[in-house]
Amino acid sequence: MSEERQVRTLHLAGALGMTIFSLGPILYMALTAASRRPDFLSHAAGFEFTVAHFDSVLRTASLHFPEYLRNSIVVSGASAALCVSIASPAAYAVTRLSLPGRVFFLLSVLAVSMFPPVSMVGYLFQVMGKLGWINTYQALVLPYTAWILPLSLWILTSYFAQVPADLDRAALIDGCSRLTILRKVIFPVAAPGIFSTALLAFIIAFNELLFAMMLSTDHAARTVPVGIALFEGLHGEIPWGVVMAASILTTIPVILLTLVFQRRIIQGLTRGAVKG
Amino acid sequence: MGALSGNLSPRGPAVAEELTRGEFARGYAFLLPLAVFVAVFIIVPVIGTFAGSLMQDVTFLPKRFAGAENYRAMLSDPGFWQALRFTCLFTLVSVPLELFLGLLFALLLARPSPARGLLRACVLIPWAIPAAVSGRLFQLIYNYHYGLANYLMGTFGLTDLPVSWLGTPAGAFVSLVAADAWKTTPFVAIILLAGLAGISQDLYLQAEIDRAGFVCRFTRVTLPLLSPVLVVALLFRTIDALRVFDLVFVLTGGGPGGSTTSLSLYGYNYFLGGDFGYGSAVSVVLFLIAFGLSVLYVRVGKFGRELA
Amino acid sequence: MKARIALLAFLAAWMPLASQGSEQGETKTITFSVGGGSVEFDFWEQLMRDFHAETGIDVELMRKPMDTGLHRQSLIVPLSTRKSDPDVFLMDVAWLAQIAASGWLAPLGPFLAKNGCVDRSVFFPHILALADTYEGSLVALPVFIDGGLLYYRTDLLRKYGLGGPPRTLDELLRYAKKVQAGERLTNPGFFAFVWQGAQNEGLICDFLEFAGKDGSFTVKDGSVSVDTPENRKALRFMHDLIHLHGVSPPNTYTEMKQEEVRRFFQDGNALFERNWPYAFALHEEEGSAVRGKIAIAPVPSFAPGRSVSTLGGWHVGISRFSDAKTESVRLLCFLTSYEVQKKMALHLGWNPGRRDVYEDRDVLERMPHFRKLQTAFENARPRPIVPYYSQLSEILQRHLNAALSGKSPPGEALATAQKQMQAIVSRYHRK
Repeated sequence: MSEERQVRTLHLAGALGMTIFSLGPILYMALTAASRRPDFLSHAAGFEFTVAHFDSVLRTASLHFPEYLRNSIVVSGASAALCVSIASPAAYAVTRLSLPGRVFFLLSVLAVSMFPPVSMVGYLFQVMGKLGWINTYQALVLPYTAWILPLSLWILTSYFAQVPADLDRAALIDGCSRLTILRKVIFPVAAPGIFSTALLAFIIAFNELLFAMMLSTDHAARTVPVGIALFEGLHGEIPWGVVMAASILTTIPVILLTLVFQRRIIQGLTRGAVKG
Repeated sequence: MGALSGNLSPRGPAVAEELTRGEFARGYAFLLPLAVFVAVFIIVPVIGTFAGSLMQDVTFLPKRFAGAENYRAMLSDPGFWQALRFTCLFTLVSVPLELFLGLLFALLLARPSPARGLLRACVLIPWAIPAAVSGRLFQLIYNYHYGLANYLMGTFGLTDLPVSWLGTPAGAFVSLVAADAWKTTPFVAIILLAGLAGISQDLYLQAEIDRAGFVCRFTRVTLPLLSPVLVVALLFRTIDALRVFDLVFVLTGGGPGGSTTSLSLYGYNYFLGGDFGYGSAVSVVLFLIAFGLSVLYVRVGKFGRELA
Repeated sequence: MKARIALLAFLAAWMPLASQGSEQGETKTITFSVGGGSVEFDFWEQLMRDFHAETGIDVELMRKPMDTGLHRQSLIVPLSTRKSDPDVFLMDVAWLAQIAASGWLAPLGPFLAKNGCVDRSVFFPHILALADTYEGSLVALPVFIDGGLLYYRTDLLRKYGLGGPPRTLDELLRYAKKVQAGERLTNPGFFAFVWQGAQNEGLICDFLEFAGKDGSFTVKDGSVSVDTPENRKALRFMHDLIHLHGVSPPNTYTEMKQEEVRRFFQDGNALFERNWPYAFALHEEEGSAVRGKIAIAPVPSFAPGRSVSTLGGWHVGISRFSDAKTESVRLLCFLTSYEVQKKMALHLGWNPGRRDVYEDRDVLERMPHFRKLQTAFENARPRPIVPYYSQLSEILQRHLNAALSGKSPPGEALATAQKQMQAIVSRYHRK
């Protein structure tokens, strides 16, 4: 076989292996969620299709799953929106205005994103407790926003830097304020980038666990990852069918988002880390 | 690397060579909300944690200043050393594995093909789902009685008895590394993919003209030009591995016997055990390790110089 | 800009909405936090409906994780931040001391005196004195009690011509070997004795029971003691059960927690089981392979008559920060009332915190073994009642498990455990 053919076959096999690796476990998750018994692989009865687990997850009031979902969406959406709102002017200033110290600012922000969450959550917990903010939306939205701001700044900086300065200058000559330029010139041009940033911020906030576990106590503000992490079981045994059903329900929106917006997500991630 | 490689200023002649006073103020005003947010919700809590580590802050004991007591206790605390050992070992094992797999995936994804978009989306999915979900998923996969792992081991005749993945320290470690690799390889792959895209095709053409084989092209062209991106991926993954929490909490709960308790989880357990002083001390240690590494990276990567 | 302001306004609107869940308002609903799987939860829901019918008070149930460690963690967040929810909550007797010592429980004395709904003498006195009293005041009441038991197959003992249940560990071993040798001919997966050896709180309970009255695990005056000759002997015995005599399965120390043990025995593959009383009702269910073939006895120790079961169970308390204390007390009275405790016994097979229910005729008819339980609980021995017990437990569990897996000899394991536990005690001991 020529080298080209060899490479092509390898590539095909590799792609197949990669797909199985990535999606295999998800398939297993889906099968368990739809199977009457979690041991359908080894048990003689085998696979019996049922929607009982999904029904259980959505209908059992004491599990509060729909509330968790609601909380997650609200908190993540708010965090993403706030992030973009606050990071955009900052990214503009960093790319357009040669302010002294902007390099230091960027590097500091990068450093901040390396902090371990556990080194903030203890103090946050105590302060939020004193403010009576435990188990409220703001207890989660505010730290999340702060936490995701560094990444948002980096991604937006990278996108804004790609917007030609001529546009700015034209608007300046017309007498627009910087803020107006940001709104009317940069935003429309960098809209895909802003969308990527918001999407990534949403995903990161949605998946967060540590802050959510410590800063929320019940379904008034608790998020889905916490619900799944603390899933109650009978006498210590985990009800796998129901847990996997809840997991599938959680991941379907995320999977759809990823499938539809994969290019945006990849762009965003790349901008945040690498020259795009 | 994007902003890191010096592309801070937009294309074309610089817009603001000389800023007026008003522009100056406005510029900083644009930065202010972000600075305030980060200061209030990240920097202040970190300082607060540092301060808290110097206190005896236990819910069932009177609160008082304790100086270095918590740190001294930590030095002789086998649980702490175990957490430190695990965290370091986990990082040392999982990061190279993910870099290797990520590179493999990136190479596969870089090749033009009609299904490339779909392929990339599929590969990205494990990254996008919450770590709590993937933790539970792998907890089921490694379940002793009916999990997928033991089923496969049995079907391929690799073992006689079911393996106690989560009941032994070694098995639990392997499960964690596998779950983490599954979840974060996409991230590495995406970053490396972008790096690959940045390598000019001319170089490959030149290499082909020089009759360089596939392997030679890889080692002489791809790897060297990819190394800056590899280093970025290395940094991100290392820091993330050091501060791992979600996966460990859900998949093994830190067990068995605390053998898979990461430093983050160790601190968390103390917080929710009512000892905020000691938990803060543990968090400070993790912070210093992560911070130290990132400072080292910035130094070595010489970023400041490129941007200035 | 306008869009952003609108967004922030929208966000601001959500916040008061979200804060609602954590406030009481004037409706005086009380929140009651319980742990449990669906069977228990259905029971609680029904019980709360009865409570509402009787008193008109609304109770919102908070469902907590079944794992006792996670359950405790999830209570610490609201309690240490002085939230008014939950008002009433269940606590594992193992960590009740931590909640009490942190000052989060409302003293019950004044309320009970006023209400007069509960007479202290109906409870097991030593449990009330040791577990439920903190610095002289009563802060909790037992809802149900747990103590380890030995389950045994009456049919197998009869088949092999053995007498009643073993009275010493040596006798147990003898029976185990004999029956296992015979049963293995037809059932190769048979193991005579299953118990909790996995690294878990249950391991400590089993260990203390094997050590019996002569064993000990105490914390006194800032000093912890667990490395005693009797304890070493017990630990060595446990190790030998797995590795030397082979009467306990090899995965005892990796997989065997209470549910795994129960299922193994319930499938008919064991002669003896050490487990909590909850298993009895499940063993006697329809479809169980051991239905009608089991009985219970105290877990034997090395010498006859030196048995002691480890005290477990769940107690109920009222949050100091509750804003509905009067209503909460009524719930407490309800939960510890004779009728409700009897219901718990009959429906869930739980062992009531009240002594008088153990003599109830209906209860004894359905569960004749309750008579033996009462004696067992009179003598149940608690684990050290200190606020930092969870940390001690974690250390001891680890070392006990290391001895069982063969990683360290029993003497060394206990000595190291004691040394490490002493460091914890010294740090947390209130002088």
